Amino acid sequence: MLGMDQGVLEEWLSEFKALPETAVSSYAASLKVKASLVPAIYRVIRENYSDLLEPVCHQLFEFYRSGESCLQWFTLQFLPELVWSYLSVSAGRDPHCSGCVEALLLGIYNLEIVDKDGQSKILSFAIPSLSKPSVYHEPSTIGSMALTEGALANHGLSRVVYSGPHLQRETFTAQNRFEVLTFLLLCYNASLSYMTNSSLQSLCQLSSRVCICGYPRQQVRRYKGINSRMMVTSEFLVQLITGIHFALCNGESELGARALDDVLYRAQLELYPEALLVGNAIKSTLHGAALKANKEGTRSIQVEITPTSSRISRNAVTSLSIRGHRWKRHDAVDLGSPEELMEISEVDEGICTQVGAPGSSPPAIVVSVAGDVTASGGGKPSGKGLWRLAGSRSSKDKEGSGGTAGEPLSRKQPGGRAMSENLELLSLKRLTLTSSQSLPKSGALSLSRTAGAVFSRSFEQVSNALVAAAAGGGVQAAPGHAPRENRASACSLQDEGLAYAEHLSASGQHHQCSPSISLLAPDA
Amino acid sequence: MTARKSGSRLETEIERCRSEGQWDKIPELVRQLSAKLISNDDLGELLLGEAKLQQYLKENPIKQGTSPKVPRPRLAEVRKHLSAALDLKPDYMQEASLLMAKLCYVEGDYMEALSHYTRINLDDIQLVGAPVYRLSMIAEAYATKGLCLEKLPAASPSMSNRTVDRDQEIITCYEKSGDIALLYLQEMEKALSAGIQNRSPKPGPVSQEQELGYFLETGLQRAHIIHFKNGNLTCGVGRFREILRAVETRTTQNLRMTIARQLAEILLRGMCEQSYWSPLEDPPPQSPLDDPLCPSSYSRDYTLSRRPRMYSGENLFCPQENTEEALLLLLISESMANRDAVLSRIPEHNNDRVISLQSASVVYDLLTIALGRRGQYEMLSECLERAMKFAFEEFHLWYQLALSLMAAGKSARAVKVLKECIRLKPDDPTLPLLAVKLCIGNLHWLEEGERFAKMVLHMDEKAAEFRAKGYLAIGLVYSLKATDASLRGTQEEYQKKALGSFQRAQSLSPTDHLAAFYLALQLAVSRQIPEALGYVRQALQLQGDDVHSLHLLALLLSAQKHYHDALNIIEMALSEYPENFMLLFTKVKLETLCRGPEEALLTCKHMLQIWKSCYNLTNPSDSGRGSSLLDRAIADRRQLNAMTLPDFSDPETGRILSLSLFCFSPPPQRMCVCACSVHATSIAASRVEQALSEVASSLQSSAPKQGPLHPWMTLAQIWLHAAEVYIGMLKPAEATACTQEAASLFPMSHNVLFMKGQVAELRGNMEDAKRWYEEALSISPTHVRSMQRLGLILHQLQRYSLAEKVLRDAVQVNSTAHDVWNSLGEVLQAQGHDAAATECFLTALELEASSPVLPFTIIPRML
Repeated sequence: MLGMDQGVLEEWLSEFKALPETAVSSYAASLKVKASLVPAIYRVIRENYSDLLEPVCHQLFEFYRSGESCLQWFTLQFLPELVWSYLSVSAGRDPHCSGCVEALLLGIYNLEIVDKDGQSKILSFAIPSLSKPSVYHEPSTIGSMALTEGALANHGLSRVVYSGPHLQRETFTAQNRFEVLTFLLLCYNASLSYMTNSSLQSLCQLSSRVCICGYPRQQVRRYKGINSRMMVTSEFLVQLITGIHFALCNGESELGARALDDVLYRAQLELYPEALLVGNAIKSTLHGAALKANKEGTRSIQVEITPTSSRISRNAVTSLSIRGHRWKRHDAVDLGSPEELMEISEVDEGICTQVGAPGSSPPAIVVSVAGDVTASGGGKPSGKGLWRLAGSRSSKDKEGSGGTAGEPLSRKQPGGRAMSENLELLSLKRLTLTSSQSLPKSGALSLSRTAGAVFSRSFEQVSNALVAAAAGGGVQAAPGHAPRENRASACSLQDEGLAYAEHLSASGQHHQCSPSISLLAPDA
Repeated sequence: MTARKSGSRLETEIERCRSEGQWDKIPELVRQLSAKLISNDDLGELLLGEAKLQQYLKENPIKQGTSPKVPRPRLAEVRKHLSAALDLKPDYMQEASLLMAKLCYVEGDYMEALSHYTRINLDDIQLVGAPVYRLSMIAEAYATKGLCLEKLPAASPSMSNRTVDRDQEIITCYEKSGDIALLYLQEMEKALSAGIQNRSPKPGPVSQEQELGYFLETGLQRAHIIHFKNGNLTCGVGRFREILRAVETRTTQNLRMTIARQLAEILLRGMCEQSYWSPLEDPPPQSPLDDPLCPSSYSRDYTLSRRPRMYSGENLFCPQENTEEALLLLLISESMANRDAVLSRIPEHNNDRVISLQSASVVYDLLTIALGRRGQYEMLSECLERAMKFAFEEFHLWYQLALSLMAAGKSARAVKVLKECIRLKPDDPTLPLLAVKLCIGNLHWLEEGERFAKMVLHMDEKAAEFRAKGYLAIGLVYSLKATDASLRGTQEEYQKKALGSFQRAQSLSPTDHLAAFYLALQLAVSRQIPEALGYVRQALQLQGDDVHSLHLLALLLSAQKHYHDALNIIEMALSEYPENFMLLFTKVKLETLCRGPEEALLTCKHMLQIWKSCYNLTNPSDSGRGSSLLDRAIADRRQLNAMTLPDFSDPETGRILSLSLFCFSPPPQRMCVCACSVHATSIAASRVEQALSEVASSLQSSAPKQGPLHPWMTLAQIWLHAAEVYIGMLKPAEATACTQEAASLFPMSHNVLFMKGQVAELRGNMEDAKRWYEEALSISPTHVRSMQRLGLILHQLQRYSLAEKVLRDAVQVNSTAHDVWNSLGEVLQAQGHDAAATECFLTALELEASSPVLPFTIIPRML
């Protein structure tokens, strides 16, 4: 410890205590001017055994507790260094453990997990949906939207909790360590714009070291510190990557790139899909930008004039152009009356919806995985069926049923994907069925006695499906060819599941909007 | 202007051609015009000049970033026409001047161009009521003015104030130009669609996509580029948002797609939650985003009499957070990129395909970053699924889809996609390892898992650091297969293979605690206790606070009957993992043995408290509702279900189904919780075991993907453990109450039924007990403990041969259960088969000497 540092720190330690409450914000602004202060604090934290460590940590906590944003950012900039200090000490199983660093980290955590009124903070965000108008778009201009199960569930806006509520923590344990640290990094990432470059460098260093210590790559990086492996969690790595991404794009491209590589290396070894996913994505977006980035300025946000006309030649077949093709064909060949045309809608993503036909399943949204007509209880094919017209096979499909409305639908050949999904679905069902069927009588009895309404119904339907399939000439091996009843019940079985999921989400919204979904305009 | 009001068709036609940029038709129209009216000569000049200039620019487009300097003679004709128009009639003076200025710019004479603008004073030109083509003219004029100003050297560089002013003026020019350009495009589209409806069926090349041309493109984009160049992110973002908020037109679609993506990029790369401001708010006066060195604090200070239409209406969604805005922008961008996906694979369209792929994959990468940050893997996997139309032979897209499916818990599909990834990149050891991880996880596809693990091993040296992991993986597959096997021979064979693999893994990577740990576990399972102890100690040296190693150590000590030491280890482990129920269950067992049932009951109570604090966070004030814990539990269950809904909408693993079953009557297979059902007879059952081991580990390990079932299964387990302790204390009433609590959660669980049998036995009601055990077995036919008790009861009822049959089955299922061997011995003895009985007793004795308080296999085995 240099004498000069000591002087700077001691001055810093004393002046805040003497500060009147009103002067806090101006004091916060004045901290930036003190050039030698921040490096001095870094040195104290790195040294780990300094006498000044405890008062410094205390002071940093006081800053954080003051609630003044500038002071909080001042403390936060040391977070990566503090986390590293804590992790290296606990990995080394050093008896001389730096309790004050732990206390500071826990202190910040405990302050951040509650809101102003002392209630547990729950961090949530709204998942935007293209089906709802926004300041940037109008749903009708987007054209046909992918109507996936997820899109249905997110119809309208849904808020999703991404962090919280968290428990107050008095001490670090192996169990809560990464939960606390991940949350702290989340807070740090929320203030990234206010962090200095030295803090970002420290974050990159932390990331590299945590990920490579104890692994062969440690030699490559020539880092000589502790060499025992540190446990990490996927979430922790994702938070690190978020910070690294910012560092990469804001002046620390070299250090950031190395840190990202190291995190990805570790994520591969640990087989963490989440960290790999985000890391790969960042790497791939930087691929093109890396060369031109950061020669001049600190921010590598590069914008150029882009031609407004499409760069794609007009005669190439695109998803947009191919839609028109299909429409013409179906108009011409298959559709008898315009009313039918109204009822047939095309959706992008392979799942067709239908308002529950009367008499069959409950009036919930019915989403069938197989892209074919879901017939009502066993009568004629429901008029309200929506078609999923998938690829080239659709026209053949359509002819099959269009011409022979009264005949069983067994002739239809669902496309490969739909079929395999169907297969999967049925095999899944059958699995549960066979395992229950194999019960001796007494068990089965009590099972059906206690089983709830939905369960028993779906149970019956599956058995019906199987019986029907068996009656149909042993075709149950290929559900795609099974008689209509079979498919209908298989579908409605799935309906149960979905209806149930709907029910759980506890939003009547879905039910209200189901008709509008089924009428979702084709992008004619 | 009066002439237009006459409404002659010819003039409307001219106006239309001008606004749609069909310059090639103008000369012919002018000819017709001059044939009709003599007074419009000067208009003719103007039109011809304009048409020729525009036609020239259309044929020789100016490239971005270059400054044109067309030699004068080339456009002399244009100049002649325009000068004629300028001189002749003041009516057309404005338009002629604008065109003249443009001509001057094209010829590189910036000063003169500017002087034309000053002469007519651009700001005075009326926007309200102006015909569509004139809007375009004005927009171009502002852009040209901006370009000219940029070209001219600063008048007096000494005064920095001046340059700031000039910068401001330039930006204002571009922003005005951009705004008017947007307005022009909107008006034109309106006119066009009206035209389509009104015009006679005469077919014209109407739908041809309008191209903006150099000037309008510059006007639309140059302003924000200058902002970013100056390091003024706040203004740049503001400008981006203004452009995006304007109602889209056909022509702006591509621009919007690009800008939306760029803005999302900025939001994700350069902003954070705290420095964000919403699009409808004013930007913060001071922002860390802006370069502090940048002197200009630009403020928009102009108003236009007409502005482009913005998206409006009630209940417009306005993002409140940077991820929300980024997501919205990316979804918009995605929908457009998706629409442009080039599907044809003929070689001529190769280039187009690359372009469409690139623009889409950037969007998908950004979506991944945004959603990954927020942990929304479910939604991400759906988005990436849409990217599949680009994905033919594109490894990156396939890999990302596989990872997102994996992160979203859609294991079965993830494995399928990973197969495609492996095909595309056969040398990457990570891919098959990820697949093994899924296969031995809740899928329990051991055959597939073995195949994938062998792929890694076949890579030999190429797999490098992953080779050890490959051995670990195949060892785990064998180990699980050994557990599943019903024939003793197969079991032993797999155990041997597993041991060999783990040993190999351990020698390849001696610093990996997992290798040492699984080696220890495998040794423990085959009851080589001292060797196992050695390796588990090694594992603990490498990773001191690994919960599974600690747990295994405790179990090993208990197998050596060092119960106190085991309890100490458990307590030590609990100080690091206070909320780990697996450890707590073992603690209950050990406490019953060492310290008596009272202590064990206290631990059960403690567990209930922990359970509450862990899963009851959402509802800290639970007053007024039912007093029993169960009432609260049921109420909370609803809450929990609603809260974590996205977790189980995965049809592949049948979670929806099982969930619906769960709610009304829990499926039996889902509940083979307890320690003793080591053998999984069906996939479902082993899945549950996996799920259960996840309960224990989820609190510690990487992905706390706790399905909604976990808390309830844990709670049921706690009650069952308490019941067992009460049974040990010979208190049937309390035991019944505890069992009942568990039964109300999972009435069909074989463990619950087994416990009911135990209670009945305690009460001396053998008939009831027998019935309960039979029911337990009907749900889980391989539940060894039920079989053992049933065998004993049958023995008491003197139905020896049946008892023997049941017990032999039990031994077949689990050959290390010493009490089954013991019971079998008793039955055989009663039947007079003394020799066989002795053998059984000896086996029992031998096994008992190495039997842990809970089976080793409760420790989860996963990659």
